[in-house]
Amino acid sequence: MSDAQKKEKSFQSGHKIIGKPLARHDAWDKVFGKTVYADDYFLPGMLYGKVLRSKYPAANILSIDTSKAERLPGVKAVITAKDVPNNETVTRFGQTHSVGGFEGLYRVLAYKKVRFRGEAIALVAAETEVIAQKALKLIKVDYKPLPGVFDPIEAKKPGAYKVGESESNIICSYKVRKDDVEKGFALSDVIVENTYRVPAQDHAYIEPESGVAWIDDDGVITIRASTQVIEHFREVAEVLGLPHNKVRVIGTMIGGGFGGKEDITVETYLALLTWKAKKPVKLTYTREESILAHGKRHPYIMKYRTGATNDGKLMALEAELISDAGGYVYLSPWVLLYSTVGATGPYDIPYVKVDSYTVLTNNTFSSAMRGFGVPQVCFAYESQMDELALRLNLSPLEVRKKNYLRKGKALATGRVLDHYVAFPETAEKALAALGEQSKPKSPAEKIGRGIASGMTSYGRMVFLHDTSRSYVSLDMDGSVTVRCGVQDLGGGQSSSLAQIAAEVLGVPMKDIKVYIADTALTPLAGTTTATRQLYMSGNATLKAAKEIKKNLLNKAADILEVRPESLDLQDKKVVVKEALDQTIPLTDVIAACASDGIPLYNVAQFNAPFRELIDFKTGQGQVFPDFTFGTHAAEISVDVETGKIKVLKLVACLDVGKAINPLSVEGQLEGGTIQGLGYALMEDVVLKKGVTLTPSLSEYLIPTSLDVVDVDKVMLESGDGLGPFGAKGVGEPSVVSIAPAVVNAVCDALGIRIFDLPLTPEKIVKALTKS
Amino acid sequence: MNEVDYIIPRNLEEVFRAVEKKKRKIKFIAGCTNVIPYMREEAISPELLIDLSSLENLDYIREENGIIAIGALTTISKLTASEIIRNQSPIIFSAASLLGNPLTRNRATIGGNLADASPAADMVPPLLALEAFVHTKRSEGEGREIFLDKFFLGPNKTVLAEDEIITHITFSKPKDSARGIYIKLGLRNSMAISVVSIALMIEMEGKVCQKARVALGAVSPTPIRVYRLEKNLEGKEIDQKSIQECSVILKEEISPISDIRASAEYRKLATSVLFKRAIQKVLNGEKT
Amino acid sequence: MKTYLIEIKLNGEWQKAEITAKETLIEVLRNKLGATEVKNGCGKGDCGSCAVILDGKAVNSCLTLAFQANGKEITTLRGIGDEKKPHPIQKSFVQKGAIQCGFCTAGMVVSAKALLDQNPNPGRQEIKEAISGNLCRCTGYEKIIDAVQDVALESKP
Repeated sequence: MSDAQKKEKSFQSGHKIIGKPLARHDAWDKVFGKTVYADDYFLPGMLYGKVLRSKYPAANILSIDTSKAERLPGVKAVITAKDVPNNETVTRFGQTHSVGGFEGLYRVLAYKKVRFRGEAIALVAAETEVIAQKALKLIKVDYKPLPGVFDPIEAKKPGAYKVGESESNIICSYKVRKDDVEKGFALSDVIVENTYRVPAQDHAYIEPESGVAWIDDDGVITIRASTQVIEHFREVAEVLGLPHNKVRVIGTMIGGGFGGKEDITVETYLALLTWKAKKPVKLTYTREESILAHGKRHPYIMKYRTGATNDGKLMALEAELISDAGGYVYLSPWVLLYSTVGATGPYDIPYVKVDSYTVLTNNTFSSAMRGFGVPQVCFAYESQMDELALRLNLSPLEVRKKNYLRKGKALATGRVLDHYVAFPETAEKALAALGEQSKPKSPAEKIGRGIASGMTSYGRMVFLHDTSRSYVSLDMDGSVTVRCGVQDLGGGQSSSLAQIAAEVLGVPMKDIKVYIADTALTPLAGTTTATRQLYMSGNATLKAAKEIKKNLLNKAADILEVRPESLDLQDKKVVVKEALDQTIPLTDVIAACASDGIPLYNVAQFNAPFRELIDFKTGQGQVFPDFTFGTHAAEISVDVETGKIKVLKLVACLDVGKAINPLSVEGQLEGGTIQGLGYALMEDVVLKKGVTLTPSLSEYLIPTSLDVVDVDKVMLESGDGLGPFGAKGVGEPSVVSIAPAVVNAVCDALGIRIFDLPLTPEKIVKALTKS
Repeated sequence: MNEVDYIIPRNLEEVFRAVEKKKRKIKFIAGCTNVIPYMREEAISPELLIDLSSLENLDYIREENGIIAIGALTTISKLTASEIIRNQSPIIFSAASLLGNPLTRNRATIGGNLADASPAADMVPPLLALEAFVHTKRSEGEGREIFLDKFFLGPNKTVLAEDEIITHITFSKPKDSARGIYIKLGLRNSMAISVVSIALMIEMEGKVCQKARVALGAVSPTPIRVYRLEKNLEGKEIDQKSIQECSVILKEEISPISDIRASAEYRKLATSVLFKRAIQKVLNGEKT
Repeated sequence: MKTYLIEIKLNGEWQKAEITAKETLIEVLRNKLGATEVKNGCGKGDCGSCAVILDGKAVNSCLTLAFQANGKEITTLRGIGDEKKPHPIQKSFVQKGAIQCGFCTAGMVVSAKALLDQNPNPGRQEIKEAISGNLCRCTGYEKIIDAVQDVALESKP
């Protein structure tokens, strides 16, 4: 741990369990190989499901002949669109699609027209995987290939190939208007204008999509799947034409999500197959199928025009953002909204104009990925800041310091930041943590450093009126049960709840049992997305546990004849705060409560601030509950002859509010930084006319252990977050600003700017040759 | 459909009896690190798998009378663990250390790497630079001794007949005065298919280059020796001028393709850079 | 379908399985021998989540034919340690926070064990090399390397 890290560690709070780097309670099961992930589950008589996917990115389906497949011995179900009770659902949001409103079509199986390569056309369930695979080959699909459109700028033009069923490929668009941006440019001495491009990124979780479904004794379709959102049970029920309570989703421990398991993946297919075959069915994607068929991080084309005065004060920002939504709408409108609100970055800019569009194409559909539209714009605005710095002869830190937002200042959307804003603090500390600049070891080597600051929301958009529920109960012997619908991605989602309950109730972690992710049996806690679970379920669990504590302390106060405020819970005892040797065993108080009918269980609901929709014409209003602020710093070395980049140092400095489990927080900072490093240097889902050229992990490259360095973590704990004990969310913020920090470092080394990711050796060499 | 048989011969007679008798689509297998992915994507559909991995006497690394012999079943890991390889042919050691990843190196064999004949095969450029021979046995007729540079016909194509297997590889132990280097350029630092790779062996006498052997991977349909370049180096001092000439020759002698990893132009440029670097490093006495 | 009967010594116990020629070791381990701790991340040796120890060497079980394991000893995560007798590597992984989603853990522990069996005192770079065939998407590798290094340091005389 660096000195900086040591200094920033927890302020002394007297917490026993919160703030301690405890081993996570799910970790033991994982390290002994006991955790039953989705594909590890077997049921007697289980069938194997497979999906037939479109060969073409754009085509009409003239006919589908499944007769041969159905007759193959061992095949128990074959399903196409005509067999699905409700193959399509349409979500409508907002009044007009030209400003904010959109119409989202979710189609289970392709019908008449395919919109991306890999779109599901038919489902098969058979006694073995081999038979299911053979059955797929026996399904005859008569396609009429269509030209398709693969560039969102082309797709946006009137008269472009129609990807979907509506006239325009533009799904929706947003505007932000703060005053008249031309006035701002008139006041600017320097104007920097550039276009930035970022590619599709794959989540590349090591666990491919998977699940098992069966019909239980009461006729409930039960799906046990690796999913970040168990509440898709409602959509699945609607597809099948069943009441919602006849579909149950049980979420497994997830082998990595990052937003890729946020949309429905296997659930509907499983439900249909088990419903038709009347037997349990397992469906697990191959890696190639995962890369082919699940949503990617949106590629963006971002035109930025930034104006500033000679002393570095930002005056005007004009941005046009175009995202490639791919074949279906999914979460594109929301990702676009995050980008739009985040387009200006954490800077105070008086004149702002942002126009954003998300456009259908025949590429793989784009949807949620860690950061949700913010890493893309962060790359653009942080590159712009460094470009301005160069033009103005200021250091990257100086130009940012002149413009950072502070508590009390407003975003361009009018939302006032009402909590501590850790700028310039995180930028200064991140840069300082880089230490002395390394020296090149050969003439072909150039070394550079860069910083990038990010502002990332945690918690869902406030007009969604987000809630979460958690149930906590204390048993007669002092052991605790937590039931919460939270889905565990591996980021400590369920473990944190145990820590919170343990802290509040004074019970050791080993006596806490957490049940998660069951739509039938655990109070619904919402999605594990948007960096919201610690904030939402953590607070719900906190609330529930506090209610129980209140009842305990009231009863204990009666027994001891003292005021409840003078008591606390510690180590399974009720203690007198001022005289810690005065104690009653917790079990005694529990027994007394039980005898008097005082409840020692509680289901608590925690609500995020409920706000109304923003004004979509001007983009004014509050969209997010709060933000996590942070800065990444990087030092890299470039081999100017081959273009190869070597990472020398990485720093992640974030205000995490309060580190409930410092080991978990560090894990997020490290993991997020390396994911962002991959985005910067090597990850690119390459599509050529809608066909992927990176079908497996041999072509789609993510960092290996030999590609990384240790991340210097500087955690600030302002205590000013909305989460339990003042925590802020860190899952997504940890990935947002790392790629631009690396790019800024490369540009510092080479003296030239590169405007698109990833920074492959070839791209570097091309840029150097051009200059 | 897809009835596949599996045989584990204990000796070469059993291998060839199986080949003769069965008369079906045969695949010889050993480490399987390429074969399983091919079968999985249905690029090949063999009817009979003949597993060579139990054959005796094909797993060794020996030095005898100035010849180093490596049995075809020697795994890549065994190459990196071998004193003989590390000391006598460091360029093979380098290439072996950079092939795939530690897990695949424990299974992949040197025979398999050659028989698979990827244009980017890691073990081939150093063996070419060492002027290695491939030794084979076949069921019909005599085995052969094939100069490695004549072994490859095209991407994943060799001169091996259907019933022919590699038994071992030999090369002369380099002179003490010989120096060499193997450089691989990939898009990440492990599990990377070469974008360009180069193996260089030179023998100097004072400032004059007596002998030069240069081999390249991933820039042509097969790994290649660059004879024109070698001739341009031999018999004279290596200076900026000759290195520059070599760069020009290189660009003319290679025929890289553009693929997902790199464009042909970049490969041409990188080959030139790697060559210059290889020469400098070797002249400076560096090994990596 | 032509099948063969093979015997594997899995984590110290001989087990029989009926297999076809093309069946891979991971398929047999997961589907027939109950060894679901061996994970299938990619099926072609790109991710290392299927790593097991075969005759003392860490290998991808997805790139090994089941037949080739006949008569051989295989060690998986569950054979390295369990609740009753956790291996120091396992304890270290948990204590150092080296496990997030846990899906790469089985393969990582196997590669780490294979390393420590060969070299009880590896440096950080050697540890990185030993796990360079195991992908992790959650941790960025740092705490995994910390965990293995801790075990190495602990065992120093």
